[in-house]
Amino acid sequence: MENKKFIEVKDLQKTYDNGHQAIKSVSFSVNKGDLVCLLGPSGCGKTTTLNMIAGLLAPTGGDILVEGKSMIHVEPKDRNIGYVFQNYALYPHMTVLQNVMFPLTVGKGKKSKNEAKKIAKRYMQLTHIEELADQKPGKLSGGQQQRVAIARALVQEPKILLMDEPLSNLDARLRLKIREEIRALVKEVGITTLFVTHDQEEALSIGDRIILFNEGTVQQNDTGDNLYLEPVNQFAANFIGNPVIDNFKVKVENDYVVGKGFKFAITDLKNERFKKTLQEGQTYTLSVRPENLLPLMTEVKIENDDHYLEADIEDIELIGRERVLKFTNDGNSERSLINLEHQVKRGDHLTFSFKLKRVYIFDDNGERVY
Amino acid sequence: MKQNQKKAWLFLAPILILVTVFSIWPIIRAFIMSFKGGPIINMQYNGLANYQYIFSDPDFWHAIANTAIYAFVTVPVALIISIALAWFVFSKIKHKTFFETMFFMPYVTSTIAIGIVFRYILNGKYGLLDYLLRAIHLPAPDWLDDPSMSIISLIMFGVWASLAFNIVILMGALRNIDPNYYVLADMYGASEMEKFWRITLPQLVPTITFLLTVNLIGAFKIYTQVYALFNGAAGQANSAMTAVFYIYNKFQVVNTPGVAMAATVVLFFIILLATFIQRKITKKVNS
Repeated sequence: MENKKFIEVKDLQKTYDNGHQAIKSVSFSVNKGDLVCLLGPSGCGKTTTLNMIAGLLAPTGGDILVEGKSMIHVEPKDRNIGYVFQNYALYPHMTVLQNVMFPLTVGKGKKSKNEAKKIAKRYMQLTHIEELADQKPGKLSGGQQQRVAIARALVQEPKILLMDEPLSNLDARLRLKIREEIRALVKEVGITTLFVTHDQEEALSIGDRIILFNEGTVQQNDTGDNLYLEPVNQFAANFIGNPVIDNFKVKVENDYVVGKGFKFAITDLKNERFKKTLQEGQTYTLSVRPENLLPLMTEVKIENDDHYLEADIEDIELIGRERVLKFTNDGNSERSLINLEHQVKRGDHLTFSFKLKRVYIFDDNGERVY
Repeated sequence: MKQNQKKAWLFLAPILILVTVFSIWPIIRAFIMSFKGGPIINMQYNGLANYQYIFSDPDFWHAIANTAIYAFVTVPVALIISIALAWFVFSKIKHKTFFETMFFMPYVTSTIAIGIVFRYILNGKYGLLDYLLRAIHLPAPDWLDDPSMSIISLIMFGVWASLAFNIVILMGALRNIDPNYYVLADMYGASEMEKFWRITLPQLVPTITFLLTVNLIGAFKIYTQVYALFNGAAGQANSAMTAVFYIYNKFQVVNTPGVAMAATVVLFFIILLATFIQRKITKKVNS
C-alpha cells in the first residue's frame, strides 16, 4: 500500500489582486489518513492555503497534487473534498437530516431520496446526532452543530476533509471535548484531514503532524513533540509554548556565552546539539522554556555560579497547578514555571538555574544555532 | 420589574399619544360616523342606513371588485418580478450598488410625477407603448381612454411602482444570506437552479411574507396611482374606481361623510380579512 505523499503541495503561491502576497512559497506533503494541523497567527496564510486546496481560491503559482494528480484545474466539486467552515454554515431552514442529506440530493451524481437518507443516517450515527434528525440547526448547541457540519462534510465520502478553525465558536470546555471527538471520528473514518487553527494547544493535542505557518511560509513541519522540544527557528520557539519562551540577549566573548547577570562556557553546552558554530563577538538570543529556568528553592551548594541568574520577582500568576514567576532581565520580561506547592511572594529575590541541555540559541536572523 | 414598567410608560407616552390621536381615535370616530347621516357639521344617527346604501350601490361593488382585482393581480406579479430581478442583479451583476440606486429611484420619486410620465407612455394617440406595439404590428389599445383597459393600465402602473421598494428590501435580504451556503453548495455540485430553490428562496421566505403583507395592504388602499394615471378622475366612466377613490368621492365630492365612513369600515374589515387569510396561508406554506 502506497502510503506516502497523499497530498503534495509544491511551491504554492498566492498574490491577491491588490498586490498583497498572502502565500510566498508553501510546500509540504501529507500522508494518507493523517490528521494535520495548519497552525499559525492570523494572517499567516493557513486558511488561504486550505482554500486553495479546496479550490475556493486559485493559486498564482505552484501546484497541488492529490495522489499524484494536479488539482489546480479541477473544479471544487470534483476534488473529492469535504469542507467544514468556522461558522459551520448549516442551512437554517432545513432540519438536521435535510442538511446532512443535502450534498447527496443535488448535482449530477444525486442519489434517490431513500438512498440519500440511508447514507445520511449512517453518518449521523457515526457522529451521534441521529436523535436530532428532525431539529432545525438553530435549536442545537454549538457542539451539536459542529457534528452536523462534519456529518454533512462526510456524506459524499470525500478523500480529504478540510476544517477551518472548526472549534473557535465553542466555549473553552466544550472545545476540549469536541477536539477529542473530532480526532476519534476522523481516525475511525480514516479520512485524511487538514485542520486549520491558531490555537497551539489545540494543534499539539489533535494533530499527527503540525505545519507551522508565518507570513506566508512554512516555518516547521513536524510532530507536536518536536515542534515543542526542537523548534527550528526563533518564530517556532516563540509561537509554541504557554507561557511563552524566555529570550535573553547574549554575546559570545572569550568562549563564554555572556548575558546580563549570567554567563557560561561554550564547553558547558553539548557538542552534538550545535547546528552551526558560535562566532566570537556576535550577539545571539538564548531561549529557554519557563519550565527549564527554575529557581533554587533550597539552600543548594552552588559550585559554579556562572549558570545562575538572580532576579526580583515582580509578579506571580496562577495557571492550574503551576505558578508563573515574572521578572525582568536586561529589559526583557521573563517567566519561570514552578509547581504550585512552592511558596513565592512578590518581591522575593531568587536565584534561577538554566537547564543547559534544554536551552536554544538563535542567531540574529532567527535561525537555530544550538 | 414593576418599577421598570412604570417608567416605561413615561417613555412610551409621546408615541402612544400620537398613535391614539392620529390612528386609534380616527378609527373609532369613523366607526361612529358610519352610523350617522347628514353633513359633517350636523350629523345625526341614522342606524344602518349608510350600510344599506353602500351595499345596494353598484358603484360600491364595482369599486370593491376593482380594488380586489388590482390587489390580487398586482401584488403577486410584482413580487415575482421583484424576486427575479433582485436575484438576477445580486448573483449576476457586478456593480450592484449602481443598479440598486436605479431601482430605488421610482420609490423616491413622486407618484404624481411618475403618473404624468406614464400618461405619456400610455397615451392612445402619441404614446410610446402604442408606438412600439404598432411597430411590431400588434394591436395598440387606448390604454387610458378605453374603459375596458383602465384596470389593466392601472395594474401595469402598480406593478412597476411597487418594484422599487420590493427589490431594495429583497437585495438586503439576499445580502444577509451567508455566502458560505453557496460555497458549500458549489462544492457539493449543486446547480444554479438547485441553489435558488433550495437555499435562496427558503432564506427569503420571511422577507417575502413581510412584503406580501405590506404590498397587499397597500394595494387595497390604492388611490394616488389612480389619481395620477387618470388625471384626477377614476378613469373613463369611473372604470378604474377603487375603494378609497369611492370613499373620497362620497366624503368630499358628494358630501355624504356617513356613507364614506361606512365604506371605510367595510374596507377596513376586508383588509383585515385579506391579511389574516394571507398570514394563515404563508404559515401553512412555511411549515
